[in-house]
Amino acid sequence: MKLWITALILTFGCFIPSFGEEETDARLLASKNVLNQYLVEGKDLTVEYKIFNVGSRVAFNVLLNDNSFPESSFSIVSGNLKVEWERIAPNSNVTHAVILKPLKSGYFNFTSAELSYHTSEESRERTLGYTSFPGEGGIVPQREFDRRFSPHVLDWLVFAFMTLPSLGIPFLLWYSSKSKYDQSKVKKN
Amino acid sequence: MAKIFGNFIILLLLIIPTTVIFVDQERGGNLAFAQDAMEGEDDEATIETETGTDDDAVDEETPLTETEKEEETTEEENVSLKPSPDADTFILFTKPNNPLELPAGKQVRILVGFTNKGSLDFIVDSMEASFRYPQDYSFFLQNFTTMTFNALVEPKRQATFEYGFVPNEAFSARPFGLAVTLNYKDQSGNVFQSAVFNETIQVVDPDEGLDGETFFLYVFLAAIVILLLVGAQQLVANFGRKRLSKPRQTVELGTQNSDVDYDWLPKETLQGLNKSPRRSPKQSPRQRRNLRSTGSGEE
Repeated sequence: MKLWITALILTFGCFIPSFGEEETDARLLASKNVLNQYLVEGKDLTVEYKIFNVGSRVAFNVLLNDNSFPESSFSIVSGNLKVEWERIAPNSNVTHAVILKPLKSGYFNFTSAELSYHTSEESRERTLGYTSFPGEGGIVPQREFDRRFSPHVLDWLVFAFMTLPSLGIPFLLWYSSKSKYDQSKVKKN
Repeated sequence: MAKIFGNFIILLLLIIPTTVIFVDQERGGNLAFAQDAMEGEDDEATIETETGTDDDAVDEETPLTETEKEEETTEEENVSLKPSPDADTFILFTKPNNPLELPAGKQVRILVGFTNKGSLDFIVDSMEASFRYPQDYSFFLQNFTTMTFNALVEPKRQATFEYGFVPNEAFSARPFGLAVTLNYKDQSGNVFQSAVFNETIQVVDPDEGLDGETFFLYVFLAAIVILLLVGAQQLVANFGRKRLSKPRQTVELGTQNSDVDYDWLPKETLQGLNKSPRRSPKQSPRQRRNLRSTGSGEE
């Protein structure tokens, strides 16, 4: 009888930790990144959100809401700053991108977006979370960007003008001597 | 008049560029100055997180003596710092997916999830990563930049933090102890530290399909082979020609009658040529003398 009980306890003891592992709810990790290397006023800026479900259950009604872009300094080109997914399966990930246009130059602190979801179908309470944040980034004025990346037509013109003497002087010398001999030939005939 | 004008143009071409150069110098070289200013701005334009983590690989290697000093202080700190029971952390490697094999010289990105299970606010201060000697975790091999977050996490809330670092290129094909630690404090000022990741990992050589160096090495080898082939072909051809040309010797035949164009000669001369003694070897010397005397008489 004792042996039986110990065997029972042992088997249950083996099962309990595995049960505990399976019970972990959905857990989301979310990253937010700005993909552009240069942030330029008036040019497109891509923000990418990646949501990873690292739990062992499906996450339901995942709502991503980004309030960190004030309308006065950003306009949306395409995409939504408020997105909802009905479910994100365990060990899978979701990517979402928004294209914005900065309206002002200067420093801007890119802060985190908010994420809320149900960890399981039965759960009433929404779990709230924050995404990671890219931090502070400088938005370059359009004029500065053009100065750096424009085709530099004027510079090339100046260059052409400055190389002119090294090509022009030998040409003139050659031309003067050539015209001299041409004239003498005409006189002879 | 034209000569004066030409000289004037030459003078102009000589003078104007020099004046342009001097005027530019007086202004302080406006072109170069503008670029300098832009370089500063460019650094600011890139996002802090990216640059901060990229730089660390090279910059953060401290001399041995310093690491030893640091080691002592951190050990003392580690004694007092423990993870809070109300905090729950989770680590995920997003690039590359397998944390046990990190490519040398390439960026590694990790996401750290932080959950506040308690009833007090947590302030997540910073995260840092370092490579340790796998047999002795108190020996630092490479320290990566500490990233400061200063993010507030309210009770029952979760937050995600991103961290990136580049293992040094020299660290390939060796095991390392990677320790990622998260520093945070609660509302009452208690400081906590939890080791999010503390395992021995392998730094591996990144397998690039075809990099520029090997590609051009092969191009160079191919060029050498082609050059050798061309040289060999030239040598064989020369040798063969010499052998062939040896038995065949040219015999000079002199100027043949058919080759010569006599059109330009006056008719009298041509006739004289035809009557020349060489053409008629049978003529006797007496006849020749007669001919000469008559010829001289004509002149």
